[in-house]
Amino acid sequence: MAEGPARIRRGLRLNSEQWWMTSLAVLLAAELLYFSLGVQGFWGGGTGMLNQTEYFLDIGIMAIGVGFVIFAGDIDLSCGAMASFVGIVMAELWKQGVEIWVAALIAVLIAALIGLIHGLIITLFRLESLLVTLASQFILGSLATAIGGGYPPYGFPHAFTSIAGTGSVGPIPAQIIIFAVIGWFSVLLVHRTAFGRSLVLLGHNRDAARYTGVNVSWTRVRAFVLSGLFAGIAGIVIAATYNSVRDDLGDSLLLPAITAVVLGGVDIFGGRGHMAGVLFATFVLGFLYQGLLIEGISQLTANMVGGGVLVVALALKIGLERRGGGLSFAHRLRARFSPGGVP
Amino acid sequence: MTTAPSPSPLLSARPAGVGQRSARRTLSRLLAMRELQLVLVTVVIFAITTAHASTFISAGNISFLLADAMAVAVIAVGQTIVVLTRGIDLSVAPILGTAALAVGFLAQNHNLTPLEGLPLALAIGAAMGLGNGFMVALAGIPPIIATLGSLAIYSGVQAIVAHSQEVVTLPPAYFNLGNGDAINGIPYLALIGAGVAIAFALILWRTRFGRSIYAVGNNAEAARRAGINVSRVTVSSYVLCGALAGLGGLIFLAHVGSADSTTGTDSNIQLTAIAATLIGGTTLTGGKGGVIGSFLAAIFLEVALAALVEFRLNPIWEPAGVGVMILLAVLADPTTGRPSLRSALRMLLQSQRART
Repeated sequence: MAEGPARIRRGLRLNSEQWWMTSLAVLLAAELLYFSLGVQGFWGGGTGMLNQTEYFLDIGIMAIGVGFVIFAGDIDLSCGAMASFVGIVMAELWKQGVEIWVAALIAVLIAALIGLIHGLIITLFRLESLLVTLASQFILGSLATAIGGGYPPYGFPHAFTSIAGTGSVGPIPAQIIIFAVIGWFSVLLVHRTAFGRSLVLLGHNRDAARYTGVNVSWTRVRAFVLSGLFAGIAGIVIAATYNSVRDDLGDSLLLPAITAVVLGGVDIFGGRGHMAGVLFATFVLGFLYQGLLIEGISQLTANMVGGGVLVVALALKIGLERRGGGLSFAHRLRARFSPGGVP
Repeated sequence: MTTAPSPSPLLSARPAGVGQRSARRTLSRLLAMRELQLVLVTVVIFAITTAHASTFISAGNISFLLADAMAVAVIAVGQTIVVLTRGIDLSVAPILGTAALAVGFLAQNHNLTPLEGLPLALAIGAAMGLGNGFMVALAGIPPIIATLGSLAIYSGVQAIVAHSQEVVTLPPAYFNLGNGDAINGIPYLALIGAGVAIAFALILWRTRFGRSIYAVGNNAEAARRAGINVSRVTVSSYVLCGALAGLGGLIFLAHVGSADSTTGTDSNIQLTAIAATLIGGTTLTGGKGGVIGSFLAAIFLEVALAALVEFRLNPIWEPAGVGVMILLAVLADPTTGRPSLRSALRMLLQSQRART
């Protein structure tokens, strides 16, 4: 903590982040209270509620991965297809007689390798990440179908499905422990290491990062490796939870994952936000989906509510930042879009 | 310019036919045009596939391919308008689905004719597009996030409109519109699609509104200082994209003959439309490209994928084909100043050496 003006500026920025986190916490508390009191079968003596997390922590793991990429100002649309692909690869390796944990490890490493390829293509050919990962999403989808065929293997060993999927330590589901470890690791990685600091810096201002001596391309590539890696882990967790794989099992996770990142307060143009917000937002969004589903609302309608929360939250955030003025993200947007000019 | 043959002062200012060199330059410039590239590649694919399976060039097959490509083609035209303003619209799939369902139900239960259904489909699409436009231009939400949210919201709307029912039986007028031929080999839908593409190409090239779309996409701040109402142009682009997605819904309904709560979203038609836009030469960074390229790219995609099937390639590779074509289309763009594979590798080696 520096003294003087630097400290004041730093304090202000933290406050805006803290303000966002507090809103998320209030939202989460209100949501849990509402569903626990109003919906039969949600509370379940506390453990019931904890067990609900099994249905959405895979979203959180994927969100962390996409989060790295978004911090750097890029986007990864291939995560969903990557998770499906990794599940299929693991299952097929296992069917060929490979030990299940080894198969999982190999599959996740392949995902990281594909992430590396994404990063290299994007930085070397100076292509937009949206475009490359969109193309890759199509390609991975085909590969998953081709490898898995119509009837991919299922019925994995019990040790695997319980540790990575539905097991629990006392009342705490195993998935929460996995998520906590991964979450802790990623928060430290983004906010306490040189790599994380340069990641956020280059998302904030790529030129400034370059002049500071950050190897911009390599840092972006590493973010894509992490994104692939985490999408792969999410794919393994889904496979273990449902004790089966399918060539499109992970596809539906992509949009909720990006929603969680943005709801967590990370600027979609990169450079601003906190990884802990993403972890928080996963629970806000996940419990919202689960509560609505248990209430008997269809999946599509639950998604609709999730989309509404995303849009309203962002509109509020941007509106508030506009009032605050200054050289904020909203200020830039306003400069870009307002007809009458910047006030 | 690989992209739209927009009124290029360079091209028109040059005196016509000053010797062979200028002719060659004109030829190379023509060959670099994405529209011409797409037509040539499509013709080559047609020739190769016909040599393999002679029925590929039959009037019936051409007619089917054109009609089948039109839903994506019309959406891609709308998507292009939004991408030209440096936006993106991920929500066109449920807009298409909702319009198809609404028209379909009325046709099924109340004998609504396609001509009466047209304004309804356009209005539904425009209203949903207006929602997107407001979120982007007035609330200031980045386009990719705003339309990600509306993708979820509009999918819910589509499910509510569907009400757990589906459209299965339509009046014969729809089948005729969606699968009939105006002339042998040219379906009605192709005429509609081509009409839409040409109309919007003219609007983009020749009207004040069209030019301001390019201006906003190139540099919104400069456009604002030049007196363009950036908000209004942005909102209009999303409204047009929505309306064309609604038209796409009507086309889809007429061609396929059914609709349900997941029509459009189940096949991720928005991604195919974005793929057609990118292959057509429009860049995600805005201000560069045109609707004719996207229209031709939709036809090219349809023909290329059908050709793969003729060559006994398993249809599961179709999405991969789309993905590879997106990458090839962008890498084959010579005007962007992107590094070639060789110089890219050299850069990689140098950066690694610099690190160690």
